[in-house]
Amino acid sequence: MCTATTRSAMSSAATTSPSVDKVDGFSRKSVRKAKQKRSQSSSQFRSQGKPIELTPLPLLTDVPAPEQPELFLKKLQQCCTVFDFMDTLSDLKMKEYKRSTLNELVDYVTVSRGYLTEQAYPDVVKMVSYNIFRTLPPSDSNEFDPEEDEPTLEASWPHLQLVYEFFIRFLESQEFQPSIAKKYIDQKFVLQLLELFDSEDPRERDYLKTVLHRIYGKFLGLRAFIRKQINNIFLRFVYETEHFNGVAELLEILGSIINGFALPLKAEHKQFLVKVLIPLHTVRSLSLFHAQLAYCIVQFLEKDPALTEPVIRGLLKFWPKTCSQKEVMFLGELEEILDVIEPTQFVKIQEPLFKQISRCVSSPHFQVAERALYYWNNEYIMSLIEENSSVILPIMFASLYRISKEHWNPAIVALVYNVLKAFMEMNSTLFDELTATYKSDRQREKKKEKEREDLWKKLEDLELKRGLRNDGIIPT
Amino acid sequence: MDAFKLMKELRANYEQEGYYIPKETGLNLIESTEQNGAGISAKCRDAQVEDLWGLSSFFGYSTQTFVLAVNLLDRFLALMRVQPKHLSCVGLSCLHLAAQRSAPDATLSSGHELIRIGQRRFTASDLSRMEKIVAEKLHFTSSAVTPLTFLHLYHQVALGQSPSRKEVLSLEKLEAQLKACLRCMSFSKAKPSVLALALLRHEIKAIQSEDMWEMTCHVQRHLKIADAELQCWAERVARCLSDYASPRCSRPNHKKLLWVVSRRTAQNLQSSSCSVPDLPTIPEGGWDPSQSEDSSEDLSSGEESLSSSLEGEGAYFPLHLRRRR
Repeated sequence: MCTATTRSAMSSAATTSPSVDKVDGFSRKSVRKAKQKRSQSSSQFRSQGKPIELTPLPLLTDVPAPEQPELFLKKLQQCCTVFDFMDTLSDLKMKEYKRSTLNELVDYVTVSRGYLTEQAYPDVVKMVSYNIFRTLPPSDSNEFDPEEDEPTLEASWPHLQLVYEFFIRFLESQEFQPSIAKKYIDQKFVLQLLELFDSEDPRERDYLKTVLHRIYGKFLGLRAFIRKQINNIFLRFVYETEHFNGVAELLEILGSIINGFALPLKAEHKQFLVKVLIPLHTVRSLSLFHAQLAYCIVQFLEKDPALTEPVIRGLLKFWPKTCSQKEVMFLGELEEILDVIEPTQFVKIQEPLFKQISRCVSSPHFQVAERALYYWNNEYIMSLIEENSSVILPIMFASLYRISKEHWNPAIVALVYNVLKAFMEMNSTLFDELTATYKSDRQREKKKEKEREDLWKKLEDLELKRGLRNDGIIPT
Repeated sequence: MDAFKLMKELRANYEQEGYYIPKETGLNLIESTEQNGAGISAKCRDAQVEDLWGLSSFFGYSTQTFVLAVNLLDRFLALMRVQPKHLSCVGLSCLHLAAQRSAPDATLSSGHELIRIGQRRFTASDLSRMEKIVAEKLHFTSSAVTPLTFLHLYHQVALGQSPSRKEVLSLEKLEAQLKACLRCMSFSKAKPSVLALALLRHEIKAIQSEDMWEMTCHVQRHLKIADAELQCWAERVARCLSDYASPRCSRPNHKKLLWVVSRRTAQNLQSSSCSVPDLPTIPEGGWDPSQSEDSSEDLSSGEESLSSSLEGEGAYFPLHLRRRR
């Protein structure tokens, strides 16, 4: 029945041209109707049909101290039952029971002493795994734009949040012993944890960030593995998929790791900077994690200033050519790097750096030009420029002078005046020399242009004369 | 122009120049005024001239415009008692007047543009009113005899019959040096003919041309310029130009300039300045400071030795790639 109607629809459509993918200059996102956002649970499983029954257990506070550890384990076991939140009406009573139990467990872990037996560890890890490890559903639409669209939230958050809270407090508990826990919190666990960072729910990612941070801190044996896996995620992100929701959170963790690097930096870390962090700048969705990325870069440079040259050369290599929003971000990051640069390092990269700044300053996009010109309001950068004005001024001069005459935006022209005035006061002789050369160059150019035009005119006249001689037939 | 005509021209200007020198008593008063006093001090005037130099450079005005503007400014200040708060208006109106007179065919910036770029607080009507006052007081019509007038004439004399000397004795360089001198108030007292000659001689001495030197002596005799006077100004010029040419850079006082950025950029700047993360630092290789003595067990455990082999140099990349290096 269905197929018949579609076939007829298709045959009627056959008279018109087949639909071609319209190439629209405007992004379809702006035209999309506001969709009804429904939070999705990722615990997709078929419920057996019969409701879940859990026998209510007494409160931990109501039970004498020696019995508490065993009751604790029983409660953990109960919380391993997972509920279907997509169906908003099923098992309401039991869902509430689990929620209050989880709440109770959170409090218990926070304040209690002597509850953490060896038996508790595997049960805790099991409960947490059952609740949080799940296959994340595919994104609602292929065109999910993290910058514009609302994220799809996790439906089972009422339980999930408490599980995360509980786990964090468990990890932070004074009684927590990594030597026991490492049998259960192993590489397989960490791998599954990392996959969850792709969740669309930002609240979940925030918790995951804290969890991973604590695990990294406490389990020295897992550190190299975690770093390696994060690298894999980033490399896949940059070179294969350009899709991963948790880049910002992972970068935040890395920031705190980089901050703690011992000197001298290991070669592995330097490789990471050059092979992973710098290429991360090329991704289209840079705006989502740029602040964290810039922080990591600056931290690296504060640890080892000798890395300045490869970093800046890397940024210049990947300088955005068509995306002005990204250019503004790059300029912001560059300024942060220059804020901490050492004068000896500055001298090494000043030429290619200011060639790029000179291009930015003359950009027709006013935000890019403005951001670049604002560098001259930075005292430290000014002191560096001042020390090296004989190198920098010739590079900047031509574009500054040109845009002071030609730029369409009057605010930019006013900023250029500030910059030129600063240069004038810095090094008057060089400035005058450059003005003179610039003017004579322009005059020479104009002369050449005029000569060329005259030549063309002569050729035209010649052609016409020849044409008239041959009875009006213009020779080809 | 042939030599005879040049000399005649020189003479004519020489006789006129007295009218265009600022009143000496007025200049003395300015020099003796203290900074932050009730009147204009020498430093104020110099700062204003620096500003005018910047603006004329920016708008591409000719040296003629700048020199004329400074001349008008000095003459006005020597004549009238100007309050410091009006100084910037006076300066800009002198510049605008000079620009209108000396380059009528060049692309002229309106008063509005000058005020906007110069970041002045007054309006265009204030500017034109001040221009009228200045023109009236100085009986200014079209031009004045300035050091630049003499410099151009001297330059032609020195070139003599061989224009190829232009390569050696650059007029642009001389003009730039003149502008540098004018930024210092003491040179306003000099007679234009003497100042220009001192400048020319300084340059000719530098390029060491005997016959051009001869020419200048000839000019000096012709105009009957006293040796002592010329020598005095020559020394001052030498001092000023050595400062100008020194590689030592003066730190610009950019705080005085207004940096106006668009709202979006301002927002962007604000948000980027507060990006301190809230995760505590994890020291490498060591244990978590909040950790208890269990961490020492960690280090000696089997897993640590396993991971340390991964942590070794170059172990970051898979083995088969590493060997290729």
